[in-house]
Amino acid sequence: MALNLRQKQTECIIRMLNLNQPLNATGTANEEVYKILIYDKFCQNILSPLIRVKDLRKHGVTLYFLIDKDRKPVHDVPAVYFVQANQSNVQRIIADASRSLYDSFHLNFSSSIPRPLLEDLASGTLSSDSIQRIAKVHDQYLEFVTLEDNLFSLAQKSSYVQLNDPSAGDREIEEIVERIVTGLFSVLATLAVVPIIRCPRGGPAEMVASALDQRLRDHLLSKNNLFTEGGSFASSFQRPILCIFDRNLELSVAVEHDFRYRPLVHDVLGLRLNRLSVQGEKGGMKSYELDSSDPFWVANGLLEFPEVAVEIEAQLNKYKKDVDEVNRRTGGNDGAEFDGTDLMGNTKHLMNAVNSLPELTERKQVIDKHTNIATVLLSEIKERSLDSYAKKENDMLIKGAIDRNELLGVLRGKGTKMDKLRFAIVYLISLESINQSEVESVEAALKESEVDTSAFQYVKKMKSLNVSMASANSASRNNIVDWAEKIYAVTAGVKNLLSSDRQLALTRTVEALMEGKPNPEIDNYLVFDPRSPKSSSGSSSHLKGPFKEAIVFMIGGGNYVEYGSLQELVQRQQPVRHVIYGTTEILTGVEFIEQLTQLGNKMGFGSSTAAPSH
Amino acid sequence: MASTYRDRTAEFRSLSETLKKIGGITAVHHQQPENDPASAKPLTTTPPAAVAAANSSRSEFNKKASRIGLGIQETSHKISRLAQLAKRSTMFDDPIVEIQELTALIKNDITALNVALSDLQTIQNIEIADGKYSEDRVGHSTAVFDDLKSKLMGATKQLQNVLTTRTEHIKAHENRKQMFSKNALRENPFQHHAKTVTEPPPWSNSSNGDANAQPSALPPIGVQVGSQLRRRLAVENTPSQHMEMSMLQQVVPRQENYAQNRAVALHNVESTISELSGIFTHLATMVAQQGELAIRIDDNMDESLANVEGARSSLLRHLNQISSNRYMQNTMTSG
Repeated sequence: MALNLRQKQTECIIRMLNLNQPLNATGTANEEVYKILIYDKFCQNILSPLIRVKDLRKHGVTLYFLIDKDRKPVHDVPAVYFVQANQSNVQRIIADASRSLYDSFHLNFSSSIPRPLLEDLASGTLSSDSIQRIAKVHDQYLEFVTLEDNLFSLAQKSSYVQLNDPSAGDREIEEIVERIVTGLFSVLATLAVVPIIRCPRGGPAEMVASALDQRLRDHLLSKNNLFTEGGSFASSFQRPILCIFDRNLELSVAVEHDFRYRPLVHDVLGLRLNRLSVQGEKGGMKSYELDSSDPFWVANGLLEFPEVAVEIEAQLNKYKKDVDEVNRRTGGNDGAEFDGTDLMGNTKHLMNAVNSLPELTERKQVIDKHTNIATVLLSEIKERSLDSYAKKENDMLIKGAIDRNELLGVLRGKGTKMDKLRFAIVYLISLESINQSEVESVEAALKESEVDTSAFQYVKKMKSLNVSMASANSASRNNIVDWAEKIYAVTAGVKNLLSSDRQLALTRTVEALMEGKPNPEIDNYLVFDPRSPKSSSGSSSHLKGPFKEAIVFMIGGGNYVEYGSLQELVQRQQPVRHVIYGTTEILTGVEFIEQLTQLGNKMGFGSSTAAPSH
Repeated sequence: MASTYRDRTAEFRSLSETLKKIGGITAVHHQQPENDPASAKPLTTTPPAAVAAANSSRSEFNKKASRIGLGIQETSHKISRLAQLAKRSTMFDDPIVEIQELTALIKNDITALNVALSDLQTIQNIEIADGKYSEDRVGHSTAVFDDLKSKLMGATKQLQNVLTTRTEHIKAHENRKQMFSKNALRENPFQHHAKTVTEPPPWSNSSNGDANAQPSALPPIGVQVGSQLRRRLAVENTPSQHMEMSMLQQVVPRQENYAQNRAVALHNVESTISELSGIFTHLATMVAQQGELAIRIDDNMDESLANVEGARSSLLRHLNQISSNRYMQNTMTSG
């Protein structure tokens, strides 16, 4: 049973659209009811990657609105609300009900509505005498955004800043942890699994893990819990493992330049909720959808960019060949002769040709789309020499050192300010030991290019405090795999630009956790099992045994590089395993640097002590 | 499937009961300012009246719409029954009569539904013209209408497919029959067939016109049969033949009768297809659904986007101001 988060979330949403009534064979409710859908901004982001308007129509939704929009009455129609449970939404619902905008209100909250808000809702609608209009109130536990079958995000902004803020108080940290736990709980509820939780000691990961464990325990004790797995003795082979990590485990991934297709499109062109806007070839902006329905994107997302270009070329040639084939078959026989026997053959060909036309058109559209994207990417890459950045950063991270002139050459060469800052930070992270004079020359070069160095200062400070962000490197140094990497370092010059040779610390750790064999890196990781009674703490062997499925969660922000790396891992493994990757938010390199800059400012680096910025 | 949501309705109801009991005291005594009685009072009186008044008029559209929807569903069921019948039919066990009756029934249904739909549109136009409908209501009605149209179109297409398959079956059976039977029989079906035709074969004309709508299997068949028919028509199309034929028909052996029935069935099927394609194209011109196939929910964000852009630009201006101050401070302190 492979967990497909996207499919499960879509099922829940469709059920919600059908007013939570059972669906018959054709996937629509028995009763034909037309309804109106109302959502808030957060829930719109949940719905957009999953459901198209034509799917809405199929389930009887005629109109769809944002809750903040000024809406007019549509009297005899039920309304389905899908919103977050907060005060302003509740007030808006009360206002709508008082104005009798719709016939009945089916309220669905993306997570659990807290009791006080429910009371507000009740008293508000009671006093406007519209309480009879509220037909249903549901907690949907869908408070996360699923972008691909195995990729989700909690869409919680700036969690890295908030968690690492030196001035943050206990209460604020607790609130953030609570929010993350709510999001993770929704994910687990939608998948209907209670996993074994593992996390490194200390830091936000441990806080989230223990809070989540507690939440699951409390929930399982209640009467109608959402997890109806059969029995508490289900072997851990069936249960997945949930690995929770903190961003500081491996900071370089969030900052570095990567040269594979998917990370490039996200980082350079700004992919948001599976949607991309680029300059079209004839001028004017074009908007593209990039998700699992795009076969080229699915097949080639992990390829390096030059290979992608080759692949586009190949697809184009194949398409041209197929079109010629169709033309040949139908164009030649232009229907001059109509003897009986040939006719059926001709018509069959004609029918095949006609039937294949839509498919051919679609293929052409996909090819055109990716040609356009690749062209725009190429011009960006050339202008900023991103290939050089990616290669040199990769070299630095593998070797742990870089030639000084090369370093300064990059900082003075092509690329945006952010590119240079990212390069400098990757340099900092990759260093085994800080060479003060080199660092100073780097700083000078940055200042020359008028780069705001707050982020750099922050990372320098963290490194000097020996915060575990360096663990990615040191771990790799002490590993058995060390000698293999030394060989890589020697042959790196000869190899092509292949950043996939370097395995991320995250991937390595997840592999070790899934295998369950003793491994110095993970042996001191904590274990939580929400199903077991509290007394037997995690030394039972079945809790560490090999896992076929894993859910990996990164607190503080993740990106397509990590996602891609995990997908590569499971494709390599025998037997085939399955990993779902999620994070608090999906960040480009620039966005993460902005958070580092904020932290740098808070610590007093940068020009002045800035006001709190969240 | 395990439920992954929690139903809080019961909790909500009990909460409201509790609150009602607590607030019930103040609801009676309006002078007490506890539950904002000033706004509560007029609201409690007007909604029921407004609801009742609107109830009668507004739901006519809905009633009709749901009736049409139900009708389309039933018709779809009939069409699937027809498809099963057509599939079941073999060379000798062909329930021609049943199929023809069912086809006629379905055709009438579809025509009736078509008429009902245009009625619905008139109702909608009248109600809109009355002016008491909000724009959202208009949007809703339009969406309902489009949905029903597309469903009817789907049913029509389905029927067309079934009939096309049926035609192919009949042709296949005919071919097999020709292989087994003698020459005498081969001429007759089409000869008699030709004489019962009082108009040029409809399929040869309309099928060319609706080349896009119909599956491409139809024109060749039509043309093939048509060409044979035309030859016969040209030779023997005189009124006297009708009487001759009717006398002949009575003494025609049972096999020819059977063959004639098959031919008649073929003819009926093909004329039905052509009529349907007429309806089909008529509906297709009305429905403008192409653009919706790939639309996402967050398309057309123009209005909210405008607001966001406005807010963002003002924030940016503010930020520029701040950073320019900082820059000035910087340059002044660093000299």
